[in-house]
Amino acid sequence: MNEEALLARASEERERIFQRYERGRENLAGQIDPWEDPEFEDYHKTDRYGFIHDERLTQKTAPQKVNVEVEREKKWVKMLGSWESATTKEKLHRRIYKGIPNSLRIKIWCKLLNVNTIKSDNPGKFQEMLKLAKQWSTDVRQIDSDVNRQFREHQFYRERYSEKQCSLFNVLCAYSMYNSEVGYCQGMSGLAGVLLMYMDEEDAFWALAILLSDKKYAMHGLYVEGFPKLTRFLEHHDKILIKFMPKLKHHFDKFGLDAILYSLKWFFVCFVERVPFSLCLRVWDIYLLDGERVITAMAYTILKLHKKAIMKLNDMDLIVNFIQVKLHKDFGFEDDIVIYHLERSMEELKRAKLDYPGPPPPSEMPQRQLGLFVEPDKKSKIGQRAENFSETEKHARATVILRREKAALELQELRVSQSDTVSVLCSDHSGVASGVRCEDSTSALGSRRSLADTSVTSTADLSVFSSGRSHAPDNSLDTHSNISDDGTGSDGSGICGLSIQRAPSTSHSTPRATPHPPSVSPQSEDVVRIHVTYNPLAASPSHLQPVSPSKYKAYDEHHKPMSLGFYTNGAANLPSDNRIRIQVSSEELLTPVVDSGRIITQRYIESHAGIYDIN
Amino acid sequence: MATTRSGAAQRPNGAPQTKVCQFKLVLLGESAVGKSSLVLRFVKGQFHEYQESTIGAAFLTQTLCLDDTTVKFEIWDTAGQERYHSLAPMYYRGAQAAIVVYDITNQDTFGRAKNWVKELQRQASPSIVIALAGNKSDLAAKRMVEFEEAQAYADENGLLFMETSAKTAMNVNDIFLAIANKLPKSESAGGGAAGGARRLNDADAPRASSCCK
Repeated sequence: MNEEALLARASEERERIFQRYERGRENLAGQIDPWEDPEFEDYHKTDRYGFIHDERLTQKTAPQKVNVEVEREKKWVKMLGSWESATTKEKLHRRIYKGIPNSLRIKIWCKLLNVNTIKSDNPGKFQEMLKLAKQWSTDVRQIDSDVNRQFREHQFYRERYSEKQCSLFNVLCAYSMYNSEVGYCQGMSGLAGVLLMYMDEEDAFWALAILLSDKKYAMHGLYVEGFPKLTRFLEHHDKILIKFMPKLKHHFDKFGLDAILYSLKWFFVCFVERVPFSLCLRVWDIYLLDGERVITAMAYTILKLHKKAIMKLNDMDLIVNFIQVKLHKDFGFEDDIVIYHLERSMEELKRAKLDYPGPPPPSEMPQRQLGLFVEPDKKSKIGQRAENFSETEKHARATVILRREKAALELQELRVSQSDTVSVLCSDHSGVASGVRCEDSTSALGSRRSLADTSVTSTADLSVFSSGRSHAPDNSLDTHSNISDDGTGSDGSGICGLSIQRAPSTSHSTPRATPHPPSVSPQSEDVVRIHVTYNPLAASPSHLQPVSPSKYKAYDEHHKPMSLGFYTNGAANLPSDNRIRIQVSSEELLTPVVDSGRIITQRYIESHAGIYDIN
Repeated sequence: MATTRSGAAQRPNGAPQTKVCQFKLVLLGESAVGKSSLVLRFVKGQFHEYQESTIGAAFLTQTLCLDDTTVKFEIWDTAGQERYHSLAPMYYRGAQAAIVVYDITNQDTFGRAKNWVKELQRQASPSIVIALAGNKSDLAAKRMVEFEEAQAYADENGLLFMETSAKTAMNVNDIFLAIANKLPKSESAGGGAAGGARRLNDADAPRASSCCK
């Protein structure tokens, strides 16, 4: 098909989809595909929030609880009458943490989000955006397919083209025009879906707009290309784990479980479908009041409350299932108790200055003016995908992979230090492919050697990761290699390790208290690991070329070999990113920072958690 | 050394019990072609008409028994929307197998599948086993991609190919089984396979099998 035909086809499709939502369920009799609609069935119960359950609900609301809620409603109604007063401001916090009565959520949420203000400031905007979407939105197909599967077990969304399904479609389509940088991103249907359980179409649209672009919530950065806020919050989440639950973090690392794998929906949709809906609403109440630090604290609280159970699970599959599925079905703690702990967590994190990862940088906020029409380019009109990653996407990809590599590295280090043997460190999890060009390895060897020679503290275990191109002179810390040049051969066995002569510095090492296997080299308590890298992520795995250690094993039998693992990266295209990372496992260690074979500084590095970059 | 990794690591000199091979498998394809549904059918034998959209990626495992080997699949089910494409390499890096899924009722999704195959051939491990799945074969009345067309494409590119239906379960187990059969399970055959963390962990224990533990 030529371009024109493709454009025409895309526009027809958009129109067809739009028409069906405009006509709605009533007028589509006989035209809804059977698979799109739920079969007629008897169901037992709809819960108070509208979700349909196949079985009798086990959770009962005790009569006294109902009374409490009725009493609370009275207080809230009174408070709504004098929203701006000082007493309201004083009482709001406490009352919201106790939970907003469900019948009043619609009003309170709109108040907390200031929906009315933005709505009256922008009369007609929603309709205008919806109209534009009908003509231009390139996200219609994706929105249509997601509306068809969002909250289908909820009475509002159960029937295809029901009123609320149509509203959900409209809100998302209109928003895809309103915020042209985000458009529509999967996950947003969950947010809008919850809002529409309480609000009408236009209010939900503005509430969504505020959640994305108001600094207090700043969800724009979660959904925009490259997911910058996700990365930032995940990093912060890791920091919290390292500080408060290092054992759990290690447990996760042991199974290669990156936070991105279990916590995505926590951040993207504020715990929707990850905790029971009643609890989710309580968290939303607080989130709307206090903003993004609530997400951070809730993520911490979930893990804190379930730490023991998770520590018993010895499989990534089991852990993910527990966190994502089991906790959604049954959280195991009453909502009030969870909220109590959430509040404590917030205080605890605040004391540790870890309650907030900081305000969003400009890249996480809308750059273009909101509500301004931008005509989509031809490619997106046709629905063609981009052939290559954009710079932002490359960056996102790199950051995400770096996190994983870092975790794997830390784990390896831990294993090494635990096992009391000198081992081959490997960087893998990234799928190092076979096939070797050893020229790439020389610089790594050089670095290793020079570092061994220059360390001031003893170096019982040096592991160097290099991903640099050896022909880049600035990557080479020391061109002298302990290893003969025939090391450039390769048998492509897929293992990237090298044996290397122990540095003389080990002679003044202090013996460890723990017994060593006889084959082990002298050890010291100090463990210095040097990570030399070009941006290893800029390259595809096919460029990663491992080197077999076997050739070097025979080298110099008189010296106990030390292994050195690394991988190489032929396509690092960011020479500016040639940096030395020094990571220190021991908590109290003077660490030499080495550049080009010379010690340039000694500094105290307080924890192994950080990786220090020196450019 | 790598004795503390996930799963029951077999000591290099320990007596081998039933051979258990663990493979990382990734599902790729356009949004709403049925990636999650295929996994759900394979892993739990269930089918949901309104399978919730996958955000980021989901992870599940399933074990298959072949004649002399138990194959454990670590399955990474990825999100289909283009925005999430930038996260995909994180999932297919180090994968030994991939299922690229398209919807037989939608020609565009087939085109997209071809792009995924290209990307895998270029970026993933050279020895990755790729299977092409034409899903929703129960909707044959609305077919837009001919079986022969896809078969020819698969043959050209050395892919396993089946038309599947997560709804009726047709060919779902079969495609995973075909992949399991095609994956190298012996030490020697596994030499060129994509290295997972496991294999590399075994670097200093050369007698440990490469893909199997």
